[in-house]
Amino acid sequence: MKPILEVCNLSTNFHTQDGIVKAVDNVSYNIGRGETVALVGESGCGKTVSALSVLRLVAEPVGKITQGSVFFDGVDLLKLPENEMRKYRGSRISMIFQEPLTSLNPVVTIGSQIAEGLETHKQMSHHEAINEAINLLKLVGIPHPESRVNDYPHQFSGGMRQRVMIAIAIACKPELIIADEPTTAVDVTIQAQLLELIRGISKELNTSLILITHNLGIVARYAHRVFVMYAGRIVESGTSLEVYHHPDHPYTAGLLASVPRLDEPRKLRLEPIKDQPPDLISLPPGCAFEPRCGYAIDQCRKEKPDLIEISRNHFSACWVAQKGHKPWQKKSS
Amino acid sequence: MAKEIVLEINNLTKYFPVVKGFIRRSVVAEVKAVDGVSLAIHKGETVGLVGESGCGKTTLGKCALQLIRPTSGEVIFHGQDLTELDDKALRPLRKHFQIIFQDPYDSLNPRFTATDIVGEPLRIHNLLSGKAYDERVAELLDIVGLAPYMADRYPHEFSGGQRQRLGVARALALQPEFILCDEPLSALDVSIQAQILNLLDDLQQKYGVAYLFISHDLSVVRHISDRVVVMYLGKIMEISNRDELYSAPMHPYTKALLSAVPIPDPAVEAKRAVQVLKGEVPSPLNPPSGCVFHPRCPQAFKDCSEILPVLGDTGNGHHVACLLYKESYP
Ligand SMILES: Nc1ncnc2c1ncn2[C@@H]1O[C@H](COP(=O)(O)OP(=O)(O)O)[C@@H](O)[C@H]1O
Ligand SMILES: Nc1ncnc2c1ncn2[C@@H]1O[C@H](COP(=O)(O)OP(=O)(O)O)[C@@H](O)[C@H]1O
Ligand SMILES: [Mg+2]
Ligand SMILES: [Mg+2]
Repeated sequence: MKPILEVCNLSTNFHTQDGIVKAVDNVSYNIGRGETVALVGESGCGKTVSALSVLRLVAEPVGKITQGSVFFDGVDLLKLPENEMRKYRGSRISMIFQEPLTSLNPVVTIGSQIAEGLETHKQMSHHEAINEAINLLKLVGIPHPESRVNDYPHQFSGGMRQRVMIAIAIACKPELIIADEPTTAVDVTIQAQLLELIRGISKELNTSLILITHNLGIVARYAHRVFVMYAGRIVESGTSLEVYHHPDHPYTAGLLASVPRLDEPRKLRLEPIKDQPPDLISLPPGCAFEPRCGYAIDQCRKEKPDLIEISRNHFSACWVAQKGHKPWQKKSS
Repeated sequence: MAKEIVLEINNLTKYFPVVKGFIRRSVVAEVKAVDGVSLAIHKGETVGLVGESGCGKTTLGKCALQLIRPTSGEVIFHGQDLTELDDKALRPLRKHFQIIFQDPYDSLNPRFTATDIVGEPLRIHNLLSGKAYDERVAELLDIVGLAPYMADRYPHEFSGGQRQRLGVARALALQPEFILCDEPLSALDVSIQAQILNLLDDLQQKYGVAYLFISHDLSVVRHISDRVVVMYLGKIMEISNRDELYSAPMHPYTKALLSAVPIPDPAVEAKRAVQVLKGEVPSPLNPPSGCVFHPRCPQAFKDCSEILPVLGDTGNGHHVACLLYKESYP
């Protein structure tokens, strides 16, 4: 499967008063056509910025992509002039954000907001685009689309607004959708509705889907492959099944041990990872996870491990795993 | 279950008036946020409270603590009905029940240091002073795992998890018998959630405090609760001990909530059929007739739109309000 998107050695920094935030640090990942992959990790680890970097939506001049390439269908997006880049955004690649209320324009009807992309990218007339918007609203499960098309965002519930966001995202039949925590603000029932909707649509259109989430259950339910991020880097990747059943990084194992599971006997005690993630401005010289890791060796304090394939299609950035030891697997199984 | 009851809620309702008109204000409708809930919480017990947002969980919790005055019903604490006491009479009792909020940031005074925050309840109730006060505050910070050098820091200098620890320390200051935990983990990352869950667990073991634990995360609720209450549109749909609720849920709403939770194991998920509950929670201004859940229920039948089910005892402390069970017919 030739990837639709190939991100190589991408780094994005933010220049703040306190210093340089290495939000994304030498990150590489790819996604095949029709595939669903997940970026997972705790807040602040660089998931959103690595997605925004793909679309070149990082707020400049504070934020800056400092290195790397982003090949989409063979073209390096980072080398395109801005007017060319615009032809990709919202057309061939679209994004669904966490909080629809801040990404929707409050004073424009949702019909016009859906129509906008169709008029720009598909050269539809406003009338045609509004008719298509009605079809899209129906497709994403909004009752009475003919009248609701004239409503404003505040007239919709949180779940319904997220459906509108999905309608906007799929309007131009993109080849890639990036969904950034699309269900974090809604109930589990609405979460299931929305994710099943996104899954159904991406299957039908053969759209590739990057699902950004901190929810390990969502990854397990929807993603073929997973990239685990920690402190701006990818620390483990592989098929979801491999990564969950045989985590090759102690951080992944720690995350999995932190969450109670409904299908297993109730544990008397959870085994959380100790302390908290590091400040991205002053990262330790070695592995960023070392201060919280129960398995660190001397090398971990000195050198940053690269992401290396240690079994077929299963990558880990951990010195201990790269030496063939995985003591955390015995513990977690 | 001969355990002592800490807090007993009897037939509690809270109707919020919907007011219209600017000059001549008149009540045009009522939001039935909590509608006839009864619940007893025992000493040292954790009762989990689940349901979609807008179902009345927070309102019920706040009414129990008299942070909101209920429209009707009783809240019995140590033989006294709190709803009959005025604010002045309530004040000395307040130290026995505390609250931990979802976002600790909103509930912490930004100009207070950690010491000030944790010691505030002690000052309000005039309990300790001088050296004893300092020692108690230091002890509280230690109990929740905050280092002594953090004592002079302000809320913005703490991480989300540390702020929640501060919230826990403050709630513990007066050695309450009961703590309302309103979505205390929602703003936290999973590794930090697990830390706070273990902390709450330790404190319960040590001090015998009872929790009413509101959460939308059913896995977390299973982990921490002894009993679980499922609420929908202001009413209790099901209440049971934990193990039975999760292994043999009775109400279709409970089943739907459980089915919606993705399990962090791709092999398990591949074999699982996702049952998607349709629609959203209707407005409590205009609740459906009969069983309030019937318009969304996959198993609804004729009676459901006509008959209001009662919370029927099916044995073993397992109660359900659903007409699929004969015990729920009024
Ligand atoms: N506009 C910005 N200015 C400064 N720092 C930023 C900005 N946006 C993001 N960051 C920092 O970059 C890091 C990664 O952020 P983000 O990608 O949003 O994390 P995630 O999506 O994984 O929660 C964080 O430390 C965050 O504080
Ligand atoms: N102060 C208030 N005035 C009017 N309506 C309210 C008020 N507080 C809550 N409500 C309504 O009561 C219902 C229950 O709310 P709440 O107890 O916050 O639910 P939950 O905590 O389960 O999400 C909701 O419909 C909400 O809009
Ligand atoms: Mg993010
Ligand atoms: Mg609430």
